[in-house]
Parts: sequence; structure tokens; C-alpha cells
Amino acid sequence: MKKKILWTIIGWLVGLIWIVPFVGVLMTATRPLDELLGGCWRVEPFHPTLNNLVGAWNHPTASLKQGMMNSLIVTIPATFLPLIIATMAGYGFSRYRFRTKKLLFALVVITLALPQQTIAIPIFQLMNWLNLVDTYFGLILVHTAWGIPWITFFMRNFFTTIPRAMEETARIDGASDITTFFRIVLPMALPAIGSAFALQFTWVWSDFFLALILIYSPEKLLATQRIPLMRGVYHVDWGLLSSAAIIVMIVPILVYLLLQRYYIKGMIGWSLK
Amino acid sequence: MSRWIVLSLVIVATLLGATTLTVIGPWSGPEMDKFMPVLQEFEKQTGIKIDYKIYRAEDLANLLPAQFAAKKAPGDVIFMWASFIREYGQKGHILPLTGVINEANYLPGSLNQVKVGKELYGTAYTGKVKPGFWYRKSFFEKNKLQPPTTWEEFIALLEKIKKIPGIKAPIASGDGVGWPLSDVTEHFLITFGGPQLQLDLIEGNIRWDSNIVMNAMTKLTSILEKGYFGEPTEWTLVLKQWWNGDYGLYFMGSWITGMVDNPDDLGVFALPGAKGVVFGADYAFVPKYTQYPEEAKKLIAWLSGPQGQAVQVKQGGHIATAVGIDLSTYPPVDREVAKIIQGVTALDDLDDSIGGEFQPAFWDQLKLLWVQPSRVNDVIKVLQEKAPKR
Amino acid sequence: MKNNSRYVLFFILPAILMLLIFVVYPVARTVILSFLDSDGQFVGFKNYSKVISSREVFDPAGFSRGFPLGALVHNLLWIAIHLPLTIILGLSLSVLLKNVKGGSFIKSIIFLGMVMPMIVGGVMINFIFDRNLGIVNGVLSLFGVQGKTWTAHPDTALLSLIFGSVWLWTGFSVVLYSAGLETIPKDYYEAAQLDGASSWKIFTKITVPLLRPITVVVTTMTLLWELKVFDIVYVATMGGPGGASNVLALQMYTYAFRAFDFNRSAVVAVILTLSTLAVSLSLVRSVRDEQP
Repeated sequence: MKKKILWTIIGWLVGLIWIVPFVGVLMTATRPLDELLGGCWRVEPFHPTLNNLVGAWNHPTASLKQGMMNSLIVTIPATFLPLIIATMAGYGFSRYRFRTKKLLFALVVITLALPQQTIAIPIFQLMNWLNLVDTYFGLILVHTAWGIPWITFFMRNFFTTIPRAMEETARIDGASDITTFFRIVLPMALPAIGSAFALQFTWVWSDFFLALILIYSPEKLLATQRIPLMRGVYHVDWGLLSSAAIIVMIVPILVYLLLQRYYIKGMIGWSLK
Repeated sequence: MSRWIVLSLVIVATLLGATTLTVIGPWSGPEMDKFMPVLQEFEKQTGIKIDYKIYRAEDLANLLPAQFAAKKAPGDVIFMWASFIREYGQKGHILPLTGVINEANYLPGSLNQVKVGKELYGTAYTGKVKPGFWYRKSFFEKNKLQPPTTWEEFIALLEKIKKIPGIKAPIASGDGVGWPLSDVTEHFLITFGGPQLQLDLIEGNIRWDSNIVMNAMTKLTSILEKGYFGEPTEWTLVLKQWWNGDYGLYFMGSWITGMVDNPDDLGVFALPGAKGVVFGADYAFVPKYTQYPEEAKKLIAWLSGPQGQAVQVKQGGHIATAVGIDLSTYPPVDREVAKIIQGVTALDDLDDSIGGEFQPAFWDQLKLLWVQPSRVNDVIKVLQEKAPKR
Repeated sequence: MKNNSRYVLFFILPAILMLLIFVVYPVARTVILSFLDSDGQFVGFKNYSKVISSREVFDPAGFSRGFPLGALVHNLLWIAIHLPLTIILGLSLSVLLKNVKGGSFIKSIIFLGMVMPMIVGGVMINFIFDRNLGIVNGVLSLFGVQGKTWTAHPDTALLSLIFGSVWLWTGFSVVLYSAGLETIPKDYYEAAQLDGASSWKIFTKITVPLLRPITVVVTTMTLLWELKVFDIVYVATMGGPGGASNVLALQMYTYAFRAFDFNRSAVVAVILTLSTLAVSLSLVRSVRDEQP
């Protein structure tokens, strides 16, 4: 029993270590800079303020209000488009036999692991040629293509685990494969789609690199791009910077908290098959 | 009566014109507060609306080439490094301002950095001096300290400050992107290598591993090694700490006068024997891809002309590049700074002038030097690799 | 398994088309760029030798002098420190927290690091290691140690980033191992306990071997992540000071957007790609084996 208590204490200590930086950032964001010079853990004097959070939200030139809107405008289609396309592809790979299947599936798996750096330069040149540089449409396209491999992989693995009996019945009743897919298969796949949604949404929201190469007009910048801009050339304000950090991370954290079960399942399924 | 006419004209012009120019500059926080009055004055006088956006020059350096390649520009008037303006002016992405800006109305040589042949690609809309080490007069009085007149006195001063209880280090080191360290370094190069060295380094006429550079760098590393410089700390934070008495001296540009609670308590001295001072002009240009070339030209001419610059210097911390601005326009402490540049050679900023790959490497290497001065030879080697070559 | 080409096209074509245009073509183009000079002339492996012999990528002098050692070595170092820690922490914490009251709550906290954007993660690392505001120095000052801004010194910059990234990424391995623990039947443990095995013995003889498949996956995914690391470094140190925390992904970006040398940049991208492909090959193989 004593041992159990010891382990519990150790466990909570670990939790404490992990949460302390968050508390520190929160302290920094909610107090004036003058109080922080001796370290954010000094609570004497302690004058909580919302100025930093409001300041970051309404920042005159790197406004996070605008950044968060922009991020939503990109993230929502860049989550749903690949979900639809890749769920279909995952189904196709799990249910049909065709000559190039092995080759194409190997392609999917290989692209799954690529670093974004591999495509950076040509993607910029291609988008420029298509006149899609500095447009959300261009960025959404790239995110969609980038999300397809892992969602396809994930959904295929899901579909191979669910029995085909229902589909067979529907087909005997005369429904086409396409009708069957939308009427029967999709509703059954909702939990898996939910997992894929949670992850893809968070990843697109969190992306910095693709946005860095493709979006540059000041008013179009996404939320993640505005964080480095919170530092002016001659001015870094930790209060403002931590406030911005908190605002930008709050969306994925909300998604995580709301869809926690799906999120974790997705994380496991994404890697474990 | 005439006021009403003007007012209604302005309203009509605003409604009809509805031109909104986008100005992109690096000023944020308190510095932006000091810059906005200039733009507001222009809006008031012309009825042209202005949208101001912050973009650091480092970020613009990443972003503009891609934009230009796509025949686009994020703004109508953009503040940027001279080296960049020159380079992309020659490549045809920038509107020439020859005829819009009259060189005769500026301090001699202050537009050289944005000139290629006879063509002007930008203009200097304000200037700042990096005169030397600042101190609080009250701090010096309390501790019975004197500004030094020789190198030995300088060292003795540092030693005295170091012994004051509660002092972290005699000189505060500003960190951040990297320019506060490069400003100090340039001051050492100019003091011990002479003003010509700065010009030669910019042109690539002299090697970084030459004796004259090494001599100046040894002076710098000798005091780094003795711990006279504090650890690099984010520069606005360390400014507060210095003001609160954690440090004795702080090397900074003249804009410091606009950033402290009581500018009258500021004193400044250059390293004994310095014959040159960096006069950093801030440059602006109009990209070729602006939608409103005429309005943009009007704005840039006004900004860098005597009217715009007078509004700017009145805010404190700025030195005009245009001639014909009365000394009485300056706040008292800036008047002192404006006088310092008389009698010494005004020089361009080293890394801003070279730009390109050198600039970030220079900053990054100095951050290394500051915490490990014994690595000076490695630092010099890298700098020589990245430096412009003749 | 059905064989109906009409439906195959309908289901698979959109995905494949997107992949071909926006992924496969750019990859091919990057590979080609790495063999060309700036005028588009074929130059063989010249860019490669230039990049690999450049001090930014590999700096052997660093081994006697100290950091920087070059981006390539930094990435390897990242792997050498971060990977074992990820596995050890993941294994031990998942076992520990399984038996602790409020364990799942603590797991959620640990997992937060995985959820936040890495650009925010980089700001957090800056913050943790800052001299004035940072928590590390706050703890050190309790013991009377005078700290420093750990990310500003060449000997500690990279290590700070690596340990910071452990803080961010451990949630991943904890969650995976926790899921794996659920699959181990209870009677294994009960049987072992009846035999009088110690907890340590149970851990090493039952838990660790049975979690092996998970360890393979954690290793693969962590390796991929370590090779690609970019955002954290970009925002926290920009690879400095003096290149002491530079990594390959950042070097690729620096070549492309600082020096405007797309060819050298492509070389780094190809090196990165080959390393990630080598790592994920095991994954491909397991998939192929299981195909009918």
C-alpha cells in the first residue's frame, strides 16, 4: 500500500513537471511585463490583467482575430476535402482488385512519410504558374493532397476490419456500388472519419511551413504565421507573445478535448494500423 | 468658411478617391506609436487613406522575392534595407524615384545606398544615429563615475562598475534578431580600424582576417572575456533592467531617447578615439506592382520630405535625413545627438549595407562570439566566407 | 474482392490525381533540381559534394571545438537523445500512470504537448529556457545556481531544443504504449504474480516483450518526426547561435529563401527524403507482406 502511495506521488510529480510550462505561459500572458523581470513564478506583486490577451487579439497589424478567421477559412475545407477523397480511396483499396493496386498503394504509403521540405520549391513554382500563390485555394489544394496519403491508409485499414455482409445485402437489393458506399458504408465509417477529422483538422491548423511558402499578404496570414510577427523588429513583448501562443493553441486543444476519444483512436490507428 | 470648404473637399475626395495605400514597415509597439502621427498627418493633408502593416525586414527578405516573381507586392510603400532595394531595383521590380525625390534636399551621400548609376530606387525617410554607450546621469553621479576619455579610462570605468554591488555586468547586451550586437561590433571596428575600414568591409575591399580587423576584434573580445558584457538578453527587457540599475552602460541607437521614462537623465559617450559614427538611414521604396503608382509616389516624397520628417523627429528618437529641418524641432536630448554627428564621418550600417546571406550570418556569429569569445577565429573564418568579395 | 474498373476509377482516381500533381511531380522536380545548376545545366553530383562538404551541413572541426557540428550531425544527435528518451518515458510513464489515481488526467496533460502547434511549442521552449522568465532557471535558483538563457549558448542551444521537444512529444509514446497495455491479457500478470515474480521482472519479461510491435511503430514515427523537425527551431533559435542548433529542414529553407539557391536546397531536401524513406521502408514492407 505504501508503495502505491509512493507511485501515486511520483505520477503526480510527473504531471506537475509537464504542466508547469503551461502555467508559466499563462502567468506571463496575464500579467504586466514589469512584474515578470524576476521570473514569472514570482507572484509578488500580482496584478492580473487581460491587456496582453486583448492586445494580441486586436493587434493593430498582426491581429489574431483576423488570423484565427483566416485559419478557419483554410482549415475547414482543407479538412473536409481530403476526408471525402481519401475515404473513397481507402474504400477502393480495401474492396477492389485491380492490376496497379500494389503499385498505387505503395505510392500512398511512401508519400505518407515524406517531409514537406521535399515539395516546397516545386510547389511554389507550380502554384505560381497556376496563379494560385497567395490564395487560400492554392494552400487548401496542397493541404488536401498532403492529407490524402495518411487518411487513405488509415481508412483502408479501417475498412478491412469491418465485415462486408451489409454491403453484399444492399447490392443484392440492386443498389450500385456508389449508392452502397454513401448509404451503407459511410455511416458505418463515421467513428473512423471522426478520428481522421480530429487529426487532420489539428494538423492543418498547426501547419506553419506550407503557409510560410504560399501565403504572404499581411491580411491573409494565418494564425500560426502571426506568432513570429508578434515580435516587431525592435520589440519583443513576452506578454503579447505568450498571449498569442495561448490563443493559437486553444483551437486544437478544444478539438482534442471535445473529440478526445476519436483523437486518441486516430493517433493510435494512424500509427498502428 | 474656407475651413468648411476644405473639410468638405476632404470628405468628397475620400468618398470619390477611396484610394487606400498600404504602407509596410517594421515599427511595432511604442515605435509604431511614434510613427503613426506621420501617416495621420499625411492622411489629413491629402485625404488618401493609409493602412499600416508590420513586417520585419527579415521576413520581407524571405517573402518579397517570391512575390516579385509572381509580379505582386504586398504594399504600395515598403520600408526595407538599402541593399535589398538596390538589388531588386536593378532587377526591375522597383519604381525608379528619379525626379520624384530631389537628392539636393538630402544630407550629402544619404541616398547613395539606394542609387544605382543615376537611378534612384528608394529614399531615406528618417535616420538614426548609433552614437555610443548610454548611461543614466543619476547612476553616474551616485557612483561618482565619469565618461572616459581614453581606452584605459574606459577599462577602469568598466572595472569600477563591475564592483558596484547588485550589478549584473557593466555593459548590457541586447539580444533579439541580432542587430544590437552588430552595432557594438561596428563601433569597435570603426574606433580601432578607422572609418575607412567600415567602407572597405562593405565594399569587400578588405578581408575579415586582415590585421586591422583582427586588431579591433581583439579589443572587443578582450573585454568580452573579462565578463564586462552581460549575457545577451532580449533587448527591450535588458533596456528596462539597465534603466533599473542592473547594468551601467548600454550601447544603443538614438531611438533609445524615445523609449525611456526620463530622457533628460540620459548621457552618452563614444569609445575614446572614435572618428566615425554609424548613421543608419531607414529606407523606403515603391514596388513596381503597386496599383496606385501616383499616390504612392506622392506619399513617399512627402514622407521623406521636410514636412514628413519634421513630424517624425518631433516624436523623439529620430534624426532627419532631409535638410532644412530646424534644430528646434527636435526634443532637447535628440538635439544633443544631432550635434554628435557633427565633426565625425557619418557611415552606413555595415550589415544593412551588405545584406544578403552575410547579414543573418553576421548576427548569428556574433551571438556565438558573445557567449564564447575564445571562438573569435572561427567567427572570423565564417564571416570571411560570407563576406562580399572583390 | 471485386474487379470492376468503373468503380475503381470513381473511388481511387481523385486521390491518385491529387497525389500525382501535388506530391509526386514536385518530388520528381526536386530530385531533378538537385542535379542542375542555376542555369538549368546538368552538373551531376556537384551540388551534392558542395552541400555535404559545406560547414553548415557537416563540420568535423566541431568535434574537438564544440558546437556547431553541422545540421546533419545535429539531426543525428537529436535522434540519439530524443528517441531513447521517448521510448523509455513512454514505456515507464504508461505503466506508472495505469496504476495511479488520476493517471488518465495526467496522461491528458502530457498529451497537450502533441496537440499544440509546433510553432507554439517553439515559443514555449524559448520561454522554458529563458534566463529571466524561464522555469528551468526558476528551479535552479532554488538551489542557488545562477542560470543563463540556455538557448543562447552554443553548447546548450541544441540540447535545450532536444529536451524541449521531449516535453512536447512524449505524449505520443505514452498514448501508444497505454493503448498497447490494454491489449495485454490480465491473466498473464496474475499468473506471473502467483509465481512470485517481482514487478520489475514482470515489466521486463512480460510487458516490454509484448509491447514490441508498439515499440517498432513508436520508433518509426519518432524517427520521422526527428528528421523533419523545423517549426520549433525556426521560432526558438533560427538555428543559432553560430549555427549551433541548425537542422537539415531549416538548412533547406535557408538555402532556398535566404541564399536563393534552389539547387543546393533541393539537395538537402533529397537527403531528407531518402532518410525518411529508409525509415518508412519497414512500414511499407509490413504492408506488402500482408497483401493477399
